[in-house]
Amino acid sequence: MARTQSASWRRVAADPALLGAIAAVWILLLLFVLFPMAHLLERAFVDDGGFTLEPLLSSITDTSHQAAFVNSLILATAVGVLGTALGFLFALTAVRGGLGRHWLTALDAAALLPLVSPPFTTSISIIFSFGPRGFITHDLLGLTNVSAYGFWSTALAETLTYFPIAYLTLRPILAAIDPNLEEMAFSLGGSRWRIFRTVTLPLAVPGFANAFLLLFAASLADFATPLILAGNSFPVLPTQAYLQITGLFDFKGGAVLSLILLLPAAAVFLLQRHWVGKRVYVTVTGKVGQRSRTRAIAPWASVVLVAACFAVAAIIVYFYALLAIASLVVAFGANNGFTWHHYHVIFTEGLPAIRDTLIIAAIGMPLGGFYGVLVGYLIARRDFPGRRAMELVAMVNYALPGTIVGIAYLIAFNDPPLALSGGALIIIACYVFRYSPTGIRATVAQLQQIDRSIEEASSSLGAGSGETFRRVTLPLIAPAFFAGLGVVFIRSMTAISATIFLVSISWTLITVRILENMTEMALGPAAAFSVFVIVVVFVVVAGLSAVLARLRAPTAGATARSFLGG
Amino acid sequence: MRLLRPALLALAGWLAGIAVAHAADPLNVYTIWPENYARPMFQEFEKQTAIKVNFLRFSSGEALARVIAEKNNPRIDVLFGGPVETFAAGIKEGIFEAYKSPSFAKLPARFKQVDGQWTAIADDPLVFMTNAAFLKTNNLQPPASWGDLLNPAYKNSLQMADARTSGTAVTRIFSVLEVYERNEDKAFDYLKKLRQNVQVYTKSGGGGTLPVGLGQAGGGIFFIVDALETKAKGYDVVISFPKEGIGSSAEAIALIKGAKNPESAKKLIDFATSAAMQSKFSEYKVNFVPASPDVKTDPALAEVLKGAKIFPIDDEYAGANRKRIIERWVKEVLPAQ
Repeated sequence: MARTQSASWRRVAADPALLGAIAAVWILLLLFVLFPMAHLLERAFVDDGGFTLEPLLSSITDTSHQAAFVNSLILATAVGVLGTALGFLFALTAVRGGLGRHWLTALDAAALLPLVSPPFTTSISIIFSFGPRGFITHDLLGLTNVSAYGFWSTALAETLTYFPIAYLTLRPILAAIDPNLEEMAFSLGGSRWRIFRTVTLPLAVPGFANAFLLLFAASLADFATPLILAGNSFPVLPTQAYLQITGLFDFKGGAVLSLILLLPAAAVFLLQRHWVGKRVYVTVTGKVGQRSRTRAIAPWASVVLVAACFAVAAIIVYFYALLAIASLVVAFGANNGFTWHHYHVIFTEGLPAIRDTLIIAAIGMPLGGFYGVLVGYLIARRDFPGRRAMELVAMVNYALPGTIVGIAYLIAFNDPPLALSGGALIIIACYVFRYSPTGIRATVAQLQQIDRSIEEASSSLGAGSGETFRRVTLPLIAPAFFAGLGVVFIRSMTAISATIFLVSISWTLITVRILENMTEMALGPAAAFSVFVIVVVFVVVAGLSAVLARLRAPTAGATARSFLGG
Repeated sequence: MRLLRPALLALAGWLAGIAVAHAADPLNVYTIWPENYARPMFQEFEKQTAIKVNFLRFSSGEALARVIAEKNNPRIDVLFGGPVETFAAGIKEGIFEAYKSPSFAKLPARFKQVDGQWTAIADDPLVFMTNAAFLKTNNLQPPASWGDLLNPAYKNSLQMADARTSGTAVTRIFSVLEVYERNEDKAFDYLKKLRQNVQVYTKSGGGGTLPVGLGQAGGGIFFIVDALETKAKGYDVVISFPKEGIGSSAEAIALIKGAKNPESAKKLIDFATSAAMQSKFSEYKVNFVPASPDVKTDPALAEVLKGAKIFPIDDEYAGANRKRIIERWVKEVLPAQ
């Protein structure tokens, strides 16, 4: 054991590019993950200069907190399972459904809608649709005694909001499965169902695990949706932590509550490593033969898949149509006269928020993309001491509820020597370290499918690790890079839970304005802002896809072109 | 890549320019009043003093949490608007600097903190607000007593604010305490019964106004300023008052300890606590009741308030018991279904 350790140290030391990359990543993680976390732990466990477990114990024994803990797990599991299933449905349809290009683009666009808008916009549409006077429950079905609040509406909203993450994770993996494999199984006499079960599904396992992990963590950390939809009968931990801090000014209690949240997040993460880590899923070997058109899915099954996808897409489009209408009428539900006024408001009074948000997203996007690919590559492909620790630490800000990350940043970066609060950098850093894990996971999943022999060939031809990474690995993982890039940009435009604490007089964000507008009875500007965000994100994402298509990454050709829905 | 570098450099230059521009800003304020109430007031201030105000809006809990977190390196000069109980909590955290504006002496005792830690800029009574169509379909009169809200016809139909985040909710609970002459057990008995008719407790005080306006909820208890705003938007809602009386909360302003622009900040406090600002309420249809004795209440607002029994919330009693009462509310009322 000691020998292999020192051997890997020596290997790292002999490769300056690798050493530099590892050192750089650790410095960043130290500054933007561990340093704020240390401040948070200090808040939770140090009282009057001494260590204390009292707040933790009193929090654990509180029955309402126990209920919230259980509720959080139930909700996260439901969203993880439902979202992964829905994501798989969309990915399978996109890759194997035999849809024409334009239909595929339309489906992609609908699937991406929830991802590109602030999370609580779905919640608002659900309240309008399913309440006692909801358009669906009351006007359409004639029900009068229905509640729009509780477990099911929260699970529905979160599933619709987060399933595109599963779709984005699963689609390149399904696309990368060589149809020849299925074809071979077919010619060996396997039935379609058997092939699906024994070839296609197992090859998608790393994708499933990743998708479930990402959705589980996203739901566990989401406070905005439950805040609006869960009502009072279904309290969850992130909302409780948020209320504890913002309502009762109880940083200690809030910090403790969110630390409790870390347990399930870490457990799922370790489980996923254990389950996926040991198997081999190589399908890209550099030795790809003629691609054959797949027959793995029966024509009738294709029809069912496509119909199911378009049904879900129709629900999503309906939710967002409501939003668009709200942005164009004088007062939603009271005065349905047409007006551009709300757009006028957001481009005059709301202009600083728009400008600040765009600047921050534009800077965070490339940083997050590179960081995600770099860390993902180091974790999946490099052997160095502390690799697992790096993987774990890189996930922390993603797994923690945003409220806590925000508060931790605010506390840690308010005072010299690192007085970043009030500036743009603190918001950018928050986004990069909180939302790059999607890019990291995508990179890892992509690399798990690519045979190491390709990189080894490069090394044995004399290329250093930097050159191999740049000229061999990077093109292979381009889809993951752009997924990471896209997610950081999208989240920079839409996330709120952490950054609501980081906005300042000088730098404010559209999402914070939206939430404020909603509480200020200004539904019109809130809806107009949301529509603006959706349009901007769509344009940027379409641009990314176009760039990716022009790159013509060797393995990713077909995958790449429509990967981000363009 | 070759194209990217000059583009990035240009972007960096632009950002640096913006950063400098931002740094030159004069007066920084967190407002708890919604932007559409606060913005015209700040514009008037800029007109009169040529001091530019940069502001950001937060609900009271968030604003307070931020000011506390920024204590060692304050980012703002003034905390503007919001119920006094928020300011009372702030005093305990030592985040304010005492300052007495020229109007200070004129104000009645309930509109100022003795040492000048905060000063009131407006008064904001609570009201019952119900959806007109809901009343009609259920054959109800607008609620005229606290007991009316316990009518089973309202089952699962009321929306009001959550006491953990909202000053509106705290004022509401202390109103009930006053109605029951501070007999806590009786008051909580009522609150638990009221719980049966509550559909959801919202994060912010005004959170339920839109659902009530749309008929998603039948009614609720809100600050008058939010209720009249709902009505002004065109939603068919009815405003009524309980005959037993309902509480009113003073809205305050305070100077932040360690403010970077104390002189400008004091000018804003002078402006806000005097007729200079409060006489503008009626012009901009901001339906707060002025705190300054020099300013008359807007006639339309006075008409709504006519005959209503309104009592002030005793901020000393509220401040001393706030935390305990909220905790009891969370433990006993919230789960009582």
